[in-house]
Amino acid sequence: MQRNQRARRLLSSAAAFGIASIVLAGCSSSSGTGSAQDATPVSGGTLVYASGDAEPSCLDPHVGGNYPQALVASQYLESLFTKDSEGKIIPWLAESTEVSEDGLTRTITLREGITFTDGSELTAQAIKANIEHLQDPNTASSTGYLAVGKVDQVKVLDERTAELKLSAPDNALLESLSMPWTAIQSPAALERDQATNCAAPVGTGPFKVQSWEHQQAVNLVRNENYVPPVADPSRTQPTAYLDGITWRFIPEAATRYAALASGEVDVIDNAQPDTIASAAQGGTLGHLDAPRPGASNRLELNSSKAPFNDAKVREAFIRSVDVNAGITSLFFDTAKRSYSLLSSVEPLGISDEALFTADPAKANSLLDQAGWTERDADGYRAKDGKRLSVTFPVSTNQSVPAEQSLFEQFQASAKAVGFEVKIELLDLSSWYGALAEHDYDLVSAPYTKVGPSVLRILYHSDSTVPAPSGYFANNAQVKNPALDKLLTEAEQTDDEAQRAQLYAQAQKIVLEGYYVLPLYDQQNHFLYGAQVKGMGATTSVSSPIYTDVFLAK
Amino acid sequence: MGTLGWAARKLGGALVVLWLVATAIFIGIRLIPGDPAEAIMGGPGSQASAQALAAARAEFGLDQPAAVQYLMFLGKLARLDFGTSYALKRPVTDVMAEVLPKTIILALLALAAAWALALLFAALAMRANRFGAWLGGMVEIVAAAVPHFWLGAVLIMVFSSALGWLPAVDNGTAAGLVLPVLTLALPLAGFLTQLMRDSLATAMSSQFALAARARGESRLAVFWRHGLRHASLPALNLTGWAFSSLLSGAVVVEVIFARPGLGRSLLSAVLARDIPMVTGLALFSALVYILVMALTDAVQRAIDPAGAAS
Repeated sequence: MQRNQRARRLLSSAAAFGIASIVLAGCSSSSGTGSAQDATPVSGGTLVYASGDAEPSCLDPHVGGNYPQALVASQYLESLFTKDSEGKIIPWLAESTEVSEDGLTRTITLREGITFTDGSELTAQAIKANIEHLQDPNTASSTGYLAVGKVDQVKVLDERTAELKLSAPDNALLESLSMPWTAIQSPAALERDQATNCAAPVGTGPFKVQSWEHQQAVNLVRNENYVPPVADPSRTQPTAYLDGITWRFIPEAATRYAALASGEVDVIDNAQPDTIASAAQGGTLGHLDAPRPGASNRLELNSSKAPFNDAKVREAFIRSVDVNAGITSLFFDTAKRSYSLLSSVEPLGISDEALFTADPAKANSLLDQAGWTERDADGYRAKDGKRLSVTFPVSTNQSVPAEQSLFEQFQASAKAVGFEVKIELLDLSSWYGALAEHDYDLVSAPYTKVGPSVLRILYHSDSTVPAPSGYFANNAQVKNPALDKLLTEAEQTDDEAQRAQLYAQAQKIVLEGYYVLPLYDQQNHFLYGAQVKGMGATTSVSSPIYTDVFLAK
Repeated sequence: MGTLGWAARKLGGALVVLWLVATAIFIGIRLIPGDPAEAIMGGPGSQASAQALAAARAEFGLDQPAAVQYLMFLGKLARLDFGTSYALKRPVTDVMAEVLPKTIILALLALAAAWALALLFAALAMRANRFGAWLGGMVEIVAAAVPHFWLGAVLIMVFSSALGWLPAVDNGTAAGLVLPVLTLALPLAGFLTQLMRDSLATAMSSQFALAARARGESRLAVFWRHGLRHASLPALNLTGWAFSSLLSGAVVVEVIFARPGLGRSLLSAVLARDIPMVTGLALFSALVYILVMALTDAVQRAIDPAGAAS
């Protein structure tokens, strides 16, 4: 309470000085120069956004469910919950929520007076329609589908209240319902055929989809009837100042940066380390560094087959490479080294730097102990005439050039202690194919999700069992009954402290088992022109929202 | 041989080529890894259930034996039914109608620009001194050899970032077209000039050129009326090929300049294992190629009947 009052005082004085940019749902650490201190917000203008991601084939993030969809959908769809600036889950479209004693019944009450952009009112029926839409096989949802996997049934109790019946207690449900992939759409709009809904989903957000010129741009216009569902009365109401956003797709990184520098576009995403560094030198462009939640970017070592079925060999590989030197030389220190399984925005992540310091001498002695004592003609270690060789399929869609160069550095330094690392650059389909065939020893597979429950997806033995498509998430092939037990208990406990402690124990097992080599957070950098003010607010998955953003005249 | 016979032969040949292309696509797509049903259900890494995958297979006939699928595939193509894109869930013909004109315009403008530049180079080369000729030759060779992606990046750096004269991204305006067209046209222009240069030199020193000069015609008039006509024949022969090379160059240029078109669609369709889209776009490209070849053939028949008949 006292804290709230202090916050309110702080905010009102901030408002007096004209600070309009309040990180609303933010978990971002903006290092930008373009915050709004230096200007009074002005309405109007169309912001041109240039995305480096592939153009989504569907603007409804329920369908499939990838990050490019989340980036654009965050402008026109909203979720039941969100994250506050301290990383805490707070209600958004929801007003309040309760869970039963046994953890199997979750009641959600909605705010009043919120309407979709098709004019229909937000009612509890929308919760039911949206969860059923996610669970319908015809929707072909993968991310949202997993997020609501434990919801068996949704009952509408009254206009504003819905009751979710769960198959097992799920303390990650609110985190799951904060993600854009489970955002709430108009039930009437969801009943249209999929192609129509994909072209222009209907939500409650600050903008709405006006048109979509394929391969050119998605045109968004301001939702004039936007009612910001402000959860905390001490916060400034988010306001949409922009008339609209032209959401362009510019796949080539150099072109994107040139277009930003020449003022053809206002904001770019997927900013590469070299451009971030040169933008910082230039001093006029703003920079938003918004690491994604969920897992950190890390190498996973396939422990289900030789040579990485031996913990000594896993540690030897990890000790043989110098990640920090590569981050400095290739990323110009735009990425911060991680020693954790989880993103730095995850409050329950633990770090252990000592496990991952480069130490080639130790690597050599570990390999000697593990019996890889022979050296073949090319200088690689061998055992029983078999070379110490590991296969490393790299997805060119998911690894930026700087990261691919980093992996080549790993290849060179691992060679010095006797590892042969075979890097294979693959397109996304072939890469998934290689993983499904178990044709890998090392792999880097990003995973974005809100909250520590991502640990269960990545390290529970259930996740070694492939889905019908051949996909499995536990690439390190960790199969440990004690770990499984911890991850299940952590997901079901209703005690926040116990949850943190269980997840900490689980992380310790994986870190100390040398199943992974953490690299850095999932990089998510945006650069913007000096005319763009008020950047900073993001959703729970760190996708920026353009409320509070305005174009200075 | 009559024109009718010539046309019938061309049409028959075109159908055979299209059938071969279709067959190659059918086989090629089955050789690359990745489950088409997965592509339908949201792409690689999707977590589609077994039932959903089975339903998708049945809907698109993927559960049939390969021979049956092949016949179904050819039957649909014969009815000009290209199906629905797996990734975009839109009819392939709709997407093609959207992107094809954009790429054709780009390629035609580039072809025109390449010819204009080649003629300019050739005219300059004729007037140049020894050093000038050597320099011109070097420029042609470099122009003909540079890859599109490099040239595009350099043009953006110079004309957009440094000078600020032209937009880096194709924004639909005429100014936005300049850099993409130049990127495609410059290498082709270098190539065409190289082709013309030797025959131009031969033609300009030939008996009839000397005779024309002796009649008092200016050097430039001789160049335009006699030299160029001879010199451009070999280059004209290759225009059909040049146009198809522009279509493939369009893949790169459309990506660099973020311009919508056939090339960009083809690239994303291949990456998404979007079989109907790849099939439709590849067949359409083949068709355009056949048409352009037939057209250049016809033009050649008109200019030089003896040469075409031999």
